[in-house]
Amino acid sequence: MVNPLYLIIISLMAGFVLPLLDRVNRKLSLATFIGVLLANTVITGFWMHGFIQADLGTLSFSTAGFTAPLSINFQLGILEAFVLLAINLIGLLTGIYLLKKFNESPLAGMILFIMVVMGANGLILTRDLFNAFVFMEILSISTIAIITLKRTNESLSSGFKYMLASGIASIFFLLGVVFIYFFSGSLNLDFININFTDYRLIAVYMVAIALLIELKMFPVNGWALDVYESTDAGVATIISVINSTAIAFMFYKIMPLLPSNFLYIFGIIGALTYLMSNLMGLKQENARRLLGYSSIGQMGLLLASIIFTAGLEPVLRIMIVGGFFLNHLIAKTGLFWISGLIKKEKLKDWRVIRSNKSLMIMFGIFIFALSGFPPFAGFWAKWEFVKSLLAGQNILIIALILLGSLFEVIYMFRWFIQTVKGEYKEDELSIMPSGKVILTTLLGTLGFGLGILIMKNYYGFNFLFTLPILSLLFIYLIDFLPAKIKGIMSLGGLAYYGYYLYTLVQFENPIQILFGVIFLVGSGVNLISTLNRSEISKGFYGLLMMMIFSFGSLLIARSYLEFFLSWELMTIASFLLILRGKNAQKASLMYMIFSIAGAYLMMVGFGFAPELIGSSALITGLTYVQLPLISIILLALGFMIKSGVLGVHVWLPEAHAEAEADVSSFISAILLKAGIWGFLLVAISVVWNAPQFDVYYWMGWLGVFTALVGAFLASFQEDAKRLLAYSSMSQVGYIIAAISMLSHLGWVSAFYLSLNHMMFKSALFIAIAGVYYRTHTRNMYEMGGLIKKMPLSFISVLISIIAVSGVPPLSGFGSKWLMYSSFIERGWYLQAAVLFFASAVSFLYLYRLIHTIFLGQAKYEHKDVKEAPVWFIIPQYIFIGAIMVLSTFPNLLIKPLSAMASQYFNSNIVIDGYNVYSSYGHWNGNLIMLVTMGVFIVPLFFLILFIGKITKVKQFNIVYAAERPESPQTTHVAHNMYAHYRKALGGWGKPRIWDFWHGSAEWAHTMGDFFRRIYSGNGQTYLLHIILFFVVVFFLGV
Amino acid sequence: MIETLILGFILLLIGLYAMLSQKNIIKIILGFSIADTGVHIIIVSLGYLKGRRAPILDSAVDIANSVKEVVDPIPSALVLTAIVIGLATTALMLVFAAELHKRKASFSIDDYKELKW
Amino acid sequence: MDIFIKIIYAAISILVATLYGLILIGIVHKIYARVHRRIGPPVWQPILDIIQTHGRKVATSHGIMFFLGPVFRMAGGMGTYLFMPVIFGSVVFSNYSMAGDLLLVMYFIFFGQLGMALGAGEGGHPYSPLGIARGLSQMSTFELPFSLAVISIAIQYQTLNITTIVAAQQGGMLNWTLFTNPLAVIAAMISLLGMNMHSPFSLVLAPQEIPIGPPIEMNGSFLGILQTNRALFASAKLVLFMNLFFGGATNLPIMMLKTFSIYMFSVFIGAAFPRFRPEQSFRFFLRIPTLIGILSVIVIAYL
Repeated sequence: MVNPLYLIIISLMAGFVLPLLDRVNRKLSLATFIGVLLANTVITGFWMHGFIQADLGTLSFSTAGFTAPLSINFQLGILEAFVLLAINLIGLLTGIYLLKKFNESPLAGMILFIMVVMGANGLILTRDLFNAFVFMEILSISTIAIITLKRTNESLSSGFKYMLASGIASIFFLLGVVFIYFFSGSLNLDFININFTDYRLIAVYMVAIALLIELKMFPVNGWALDVYESTDAGVATIISVINSTAIAFMFYKIMPLLPSNFLYIFGIIGALTYLMSNLMGLKQENARRLLGYSSIGQMGLLLASIIFTAGLEPVLRIMIVGGFFLNHLIAKTGLFWISGLIKKEKLKDWRVIRSNKSLMIMFGIFIFALSGFPPFAGFWAKWEFVKSLLAGQNILIIALILLGSLFEVIYMFRWFIQTVKGEYKEDELSIMPSGKVILTTLLGTLGFGLGILIMKNYYGFNFLFTLPILSLLFIYLIDFLPAKIKGIMSLGGLAYYGYYLYTLVQFENPIQILFGVIFLVGSGVNLISTLNRSEISKGFYGLLMMMIFSFGSLLIARSYLEFFLSWELMTIASFLLILRGKNAQKASLMYMIFSIAGAYLMMVGFGFAPELIGSSALITGLTYVQLPLISIILLALGFMIKSGVLGVHVWLPEAHAEAEADVSSFISAILLKAGIWGFLLVAISVVWNAPQFDVYYWMGWLGVFTALVGAFLASFQEDAKRLLAYSSMSQVGYIIAAISMLSHLGWVSAFYLSLNHMMFKSALFIAIAGVYYRTHTRNMYEMGGLIKKMPLSFISVLISIIAVSGVPPLSGFGSKWLMYSSFIERGWYLQAAVLFFASAVSFLYLYRLIHTIFLGQAKYEHKDVKEAPVWFIIPQYIFIGAIMVLSTFPNLLIKPLSAMASQYFNSNIVIDGYNVYSSYGHWNGNLIMLVTMGVFIVPLFFLILFIGKITKVKQFNIVYAAERPESPQTTHVAHNMYAHYRKALGGWGKPRIWDFWHGSAEWAHTMGDFFRRIYSGNGQTYLLHIILFFVVVFFLGV
Repeated sequence: MIETLILGFILLLIGLYAMLSQKNIIKIILGFSIADTGVHIIIVSLGYLKGRRAPILDSAVDIANSVKEVVDPIPSALVLTAIVIGLATTALMLVFAAELHKRKASFSIDDYKELKW
Repeated sequence: MDIFIKIIYAAISILVATLYGLILIGIVHKIYARVHRRIGPPVWQPILDIIQTHGRKVATSHGIMFFLGPVFRMAGGMGTYLFMPVIFGSVVFSNYSMAGDLLLVMYFIFFGQLGMALGAGEGGHPYSPLGIARGLSQMSTFELPFSLAVISIAIQYQTLNITTIVAAQQGGMLNWTLFTNPLAVIAAMISLLGMNMHSPFSLVLAPQEIPIGPPIEMNGSFLGILQTNRALFASAKLVLFMNLFFGGATNLPIMMLKTFSIYMFSVFIGAAFPRFRPEQSFRFFLRIPTLIGILSVIVIAYL
């Protein structure tokens, strides 16, 4: 294979040859330029291939005919080859990206570009410190010089600031190198074998600090931000990716020289950089500068990961560091390229990206990749990194990194949402398809493929777990078909999937079947309502199927990672589904932020959890492990965020309300159950391995108050979907409380309620979707009297609200009965009282829902409203039918549910025919149904027989205190219906939690704004930062 | 040679001080040059061993025992490269200064902080 | 055949309770009148009223739900009554209490209220939903002390089965919940004031504010059914309280005596106090009675 020295030689030669060739023809020099970059890539590619094929070990290449330490030597192992290939590839692609620019500007640009790549290559290869200094200088000087490719005031002044900083850095580096030589007698990294303790520490310290400055660590990075903001997009790419990578690699090489306490501090600096730059990014409105903040943050993350993975086995270390590296490399390159195409500074102006579909998709891919979502490399890296940090007890680092990551997600997704949903006029300047777009698409595809590669090859995920992604891709391919065809195909696919899971995967536990019914059968019936879509609905079914298949994967996940992967895929799909809503910007952002925060809690929680034994599904595997308390708390919190428990529920009403009408039912009826499923899994692990501290007692209280507050909040809504959303919150509170009881009856009632809630909430949401479809409003006070126009919807809502309220004889009473019996039996008396209160309050919102929409006075503008489309009616009546059957024959359900719960607890309910006996009471659903029918029929017949003549009257023919009402608006009691209750609640009715989260958000933004003021724009201030950094870090270390 | 070592450090500090205190870009560049020179002097003086000969292996030196007789040649070699690089850096800085002056007719670094935060 | 007999028993039971309830209402009117220094109608006036309303030839209906509202209401009253054992040890008056326990009765109370609320809602008159909104809100607040009291006695007797609760109170007055668990009884009796909707908690019908509220559009047979139900429902509630707190009844006269006394409690208070404003009423229930209820649970469960 080619000696890696040629990487340097070819580039140097090109530097001399290019001016000559350029004299002949610009095309020739351009071809040579690309040729050199291509040659670099090919050489490193061959090496990489070689290293993968055979274990070549680590090769050393010497120069000038001597061996080290007499000469400079290059070292090439698989690691070097990998990094070299990556940066040369990006070099090549960026070179192509910049071709047009180079064609128009002086030749120097091309030469400098080649020098940058060469400097980076040399820095990675060399083992000689002084040689490294030379390469670093080549790298810096040519990088700075290439900034002048774009000659504006801003770019020049930022280049000068860069110059000052890198000048100081090079002074430190040089001094450090010389002192290392002075103390150890060698410049070759392989031959320096003394410990740099006591006064000799200063030598390595100076080298390290120089590298940290060049790596743009917080707070010595103001100049870098300016450069990112002002320079050409292509140049920013090479600074962010090539330059930084080479320097990070250099840091990796000198790590063995550094004492461990300093390494720890540098690691913290890395993590802190990640946190701070993302915090400061929150306030940023300039796209390029935002990318700068993000780049710097990623470098901090990379540095931290290099340092804190030091003790791990090499493969894992490559997974982590390499994962972060590749993720940053691809995503940041892509984003910088797009920024070059968009030519707009403000974040909100990026909406022009919508003129180019494929670019928009790539933008999404890069954002998701950067935020650490599967299947991209960053996801795996973060998972493994957190796990390894936990193994090393580095809680502080985890906190810094996850918090930083959260901030990054916030601004990234705010940007994403703004971009894809912002107001965009067709006449605005649009992005034409071009070579650059194709290049960007290529890069995005590369990143995606890489992620899939890791997923398939490293982790060996089977087909079922990749199915969510595959289905998204597949439906994207057939997206041109009409919605109905895609919908029916989806339904078919789902049916087969459910059948496949049921027959072939063989659930280990009946609880899986129960949740399978909730997730898959529920989704299937809900899917019918989407068939009403008449437009093509691009992307909708792909996302929907992705979400549904992720639910399926959650059921059968056998390891924490499989579960977490499916969880994140579900989050992606549901986020994008919510985002499809017309005004869903804020809602989807909140959903994303809370989901991510929950996911991070879960990630840490799983990290604390002990390894599972065997390869059975989590529901089995978890029973045999003892989860530590911290793990239980974190996991439970993570799941509770997804199910919208009190305190973290604020995303819930927004997301439900703003999602498309037929999506809301999926979110409420099924997505929330995913949180319940997770919560249940954690609880299962606790049954036989209870922690010392009875944490579930407090979770029970949390659930109970969620139920109460949710019910109150629902009662005070004007928006039908928000009302239902809060109602879901309330119902989830019951379920959480019931699971937390950790008793047989408690779990039976939780299961019962989960299934019941899925049915009646689906029916309600679909009914409201139908009403919305006809009336185009969600405000209940804008409706009224629709019973005559939409009788079928009315009946379905009526049955559903009876089921929700728990009034006998419908199935809701079963859940109430089970619930109260179990609470009293468990000794949770006051909790039971709060639940009584909550369910009494729930009558308020239920009545409000049905009254203000269907009863009372009809509005003039609705006089021609028709019944909801048949596609909405069918699924509602399927659910209603199921509710009626289960109400009449409750033991069809109670028996299997009782069996499920008795796997974990001794059963203390007795089922005898239609009778169910608990230790406190009894219930015969069938008899109740018969008696109720009887007492209903008697007065009905009586009335029909004796009523005499019935006069039907028109609207407004009412006794209105002797005056005739003027219009429905004055006569329909709907707006602020429970004003007196609100008044009675006084201070308790204030939205404190909402205020709290708003306050937190504002606080974070203010903090970000406060800290970023240190970047005053003055080059001298930046110098001062560097000097202070040098001194302070040193004393911290000592 | 401890005296030159100290001299080198003094120059380095003077240079750094100049870079931090002077508002004029040209003076900042000068400060950088001074600091750089200080570094060069430090390098050379680290390699110099009192009472030894120049590291040229000719007849005046006992080749077998040369290690003990001559000064360390490597710092001298390094400093040459360092000087060249320093030169390049200074030159590039001056180019930037000139370009900036062309646009704003000012050498004050305070005039170049459009980009911040 | 069994079922047939059961139905006949149920019919007898309901008939008795309804007549009794009607007389009770008549007595209340008489008492109110005397407090107001009027002579008042005869005690059988409610029965005459019902016959009169049912005798109307024409009834105005606003739609199907409006039509069904009173049916729901009546079904609710009948159901609530039928799911309770009325007289301890009596076959005729044991009703369908084997269908469920106390929880069933508590929840079946809502059945009629919800149905009536819906029917009244279709009437389209603004006073109906106003009254219903008040009623639901108030119901939610008095339900809290009541449920605390129920939980308290469930702990006390270790059951939710009404028959068992009554059985446990047999054998002398001192075995009544009233004496064994006075806090719970106090909380529940205050809730009863709300349930019976006499002053100061007569928010729903509130003649001077929202003239009779929900049933405002009801007429003819609709109103007749409602009036019938009011009587039945009143006696059902009283029987429930009697069973839970006052030792139940072993024969009809005792039942009448006890329920009459319980009823008079709220009647006397109603005659003496003016009406609360809605928010005052809600706050009232959420404060002292709730506190008493919590205390009763704590005392029984933990002390």
